[in-house]
Amino acid sequence: MLKLFERNTLNVADITDETTAIDVRNLNLWFGNKHVLNDISMRIPKNKITALIGQSGCGKSTLVNCFNRLNDLYDGCKYEGEINIGGRNINSKKVNVSRLRTQVGMVFQRPNPFPMSIYDNVCYGLRLQGIKTRRHLDDAVESALKEAALWDEVKDRLFESANALSGGQQQRLVIARALALKPDILLLDEPTSALDPLTTLFIEELMAELKKRCTIVIVTHNMQQASRVSDYTAFFHQGRLVEYADSDSLFTMPEKKQTEDYITGRYG
Amino acid sequence: MNNMFKGGFNAVHRQSLVISLTAFFTSLLLIALVSVLFLITFRGGAYFWPEPIYDVTYKVTGANESAKSEHKMFAQLYMADEVEQIYQVHFADEQSPYGSQMQLASADIINKELAYGSAEIKTKDGRFVLGQPEFLSTPDSRREDLSLFSDIQNRVSALSAQIEKIRRERLSPIHESLASLDSKGVDQNAPARERLETQFERWQHEVIHLEEERDEYELSVTFANAQAYAIRVSEIKSVDYVSQLSYFEKWQVVFSRIATFLTDSPKQANTSGGVYPALFGTVLMVFLMTIIVTPFGVLAAIYLSEYAPDTPFTTAIRISVSNMAGVPSIVYGVFGLGFFVYTLGGNIDALFFADRLPAPTMGTPGVFWASLTMAILTLPVVIVATEEGLRRVPEGLKRGSYALGATKVETIAKTILPIASPGIMTGVILAIARAAGEVAPLMLVGAVKFAPTLPIDGEFPYLHLERQFMHLGVLIYDGAFHSHTDAKNSSMMFAACLLLLIVVFVLNVLAVILRTRLRKRYLQG
Repeated sequence: MLKLFERNTLNVADITDETTAIDVRNLNLWFGNKHVLNDISMRIPKNKITALIGQSGCGKSTLVNCFNRLNDLYDGCKYEGEINIGGRNINSKKVNVSRLRTQVGMVFQRPNPFPMSIYDNVCYGLRLQGIKTRRHLDDAVESALKEAALWDEVKDRLFESANALSGGQQQRLVIARALALKPDILLLDEPTSALDPLTTLFIEELMAELKKRCTIVIVTHNMQQASRVSDYTAFFHQGRLVEYADSDSLFTMPEKKQTEDYITGRYG
Repeated sequence: MNNMFKGGFNAVHRQSLVISLTAFFTSLLLIALVSVLFLITFRGGAYFWPEPIYDVTYKVTGANESAKSEHKMFAQLYMADEVEQIYQVHFADEQSPYGSQMQLASADIINKELAYGSAEIKTKDGRFVLGQPEFLSTPDSRREDLSLFSDIQNRVSALSAQIEKIRRERLSPIHESLASLDSKGVDQNAPARERLETQFERWQHEVIHLEEERDEYELSVTFANAQAYAIRVSEIKSVDYVSQLSYFEKWQVVFSRIATFLTDSPKQANTSGGVYPALFGTVLMVFLMTIIVTPFGVLAAIYLSEYAPDTPFTTAIRISVSNMAGVPSIVYGVFGLGFFVYTLGGNIDALFFADRLPAPTMGTPGVFWASLTMAILTLPVVIVATEEGLRRVPEGLKRGSYALGATKVETIAKTILPIASPGIMTGVILAIARAAGEVAPLMLVGAVKFAPTLPIDGEFPYLHLERQFMHLGVLIYDGAFHSHTDAKNSSMMFAACLLLLIVVFVLNVLAVILRTRLRKRYLQG
């Protein structure tokens, strides 16, 4: 009863400037001539899990890639509008993109551990920042792996190849790799779509644990997952933000017809 | 009925015809490959195999029948013609103690028996004497038993060392002082000069005396007709009693000959001795080439695959890189000679070595220009293989690296290059194998039949990039012009071929091992 009460208190309108982690304002994005994101404005709250749902190609992954400027890698990508993280517009040319990406961690659809040892994988980002002290690295690896709930499984084989791990372990290793940099925001781009249901559940529990220390944005195709784990959910359709609300409201009484059609499986 | 039969016949037989045709050409290919390997291995190996010496008595047919006589010689026999029963003979007698060749019909041989006492005596300048060692003579005109041979050989080398020491420590300093007096314009009759000259003469006398003593140690041998011949012990490299060797001992001789082959320098116009300078030159040239071509090729490939925009211009670059691999190698040789040696080298000479002109320093073919030319020749191999390797790096890993805050350079250095390393290694080793076997361009830009000095020695600056060098391929090419006179049907050319084959084979095996190991390490799970 208490829990229900708690959840009902969530409301998009209540997200204040202080509780906003990512403030997207009038974001437009094109790949060549294709208008992929059309005038997106939303506030993603701190220390909450926000799910982005929608059909394939609706622009939700592209939006997530905007938060760490990974779209810069693609030729012909243009964008305008503001994305404020920590009070700064990250779309500005003055932003140090490498620095931004250490503050905004990302986990991809397919586990992509580097072909090195587990230890080196977790250290990858730290070493790039010039941290070389062995003790410092050891501590960071241990705490990151513990945060990702992987420590007990791999503590005896830290120096073996990460490729020997199972898919679920690899995905948690990738999460640990991002967590080692102590990010404020963690972007998960369909993190469980290549994993089996049990491992998926495990990762979902992990997310609930992780939101205590960082803001999580998750892109998912799995409606149950979105309703299970997220506090807020945003529904996208053809590059537009159709509806953005707390997950309970969005999945129980969606305001828009399009949202209702999508979550009830009438299309998509 | 007839038509049906015909149709079935055609279909079945057309198919089997295609199969047998393709199989035929495949087997031809196999035969060609195996025969190349067999020929090179057999003939190259024969160069090291100790052949027994026979005591041969044969009929000499003169101009008229009455001039018929008999002749005895020590000889090694090689069957040259199975049908006509003609031997190619390598023999030695008192007229040609250092060996000669002839053809001998089996019918003319009156008697042949293994000459147990005779030996193959190899001199330091690469010649052979076939004779029966009898005794050793010493400066005090005594005859020593053959069992003392190694003892006497030690004594002789001690004398040689003494002579060398006097030359080095006494004669050359005096010579230098005299030269400095000359340059200072000191009078011919100055007392200092005269004192030096007396000293010089005294030491020179000493040297001559020691040399005489050394040269009086002699090994007396007899030929088949009991004629005697004396060989200076100081000239002898080895004495092998090849006729009385057991199978095992023959292999010992083979191994010691292989060791000599690998460590000695060529003798007798590259038909005898060893190939050490050529092996050294090949390895050095390939090493320098690798140092040049690897960064060059890898960086170019990184630019092409990671940075260059996809425009018709980059496509044109890619196509021309692939086509560069097909340019005849001699064209690169001419380019190296015309551009590197004459233009670049000539300008370097004019700028830095002007005091030595007109004698060229860098403006002449040398090991550096050869390496540079070979680097350009093998560049396409490295670029294409590296690009192939870079293309195999999964996009997800690159994005993973960027997402952790890595810049493009860091991503390339830490993620892309290690994963592409099997491809890069393959390219580099293919380039090495190509460079090790190439001959034509090298002859234009620095490889010679005989180089008096190695490109690396103890003199400053130790690595002499401007020096000409010897190369296995050039040695083989040179050997092809006089090998056919050899009795064994084998020669140093075949042995050098075998060595080159082994070098390239080992490099390829190394490439495969390295590639599998790296692949395993960077395997995608």
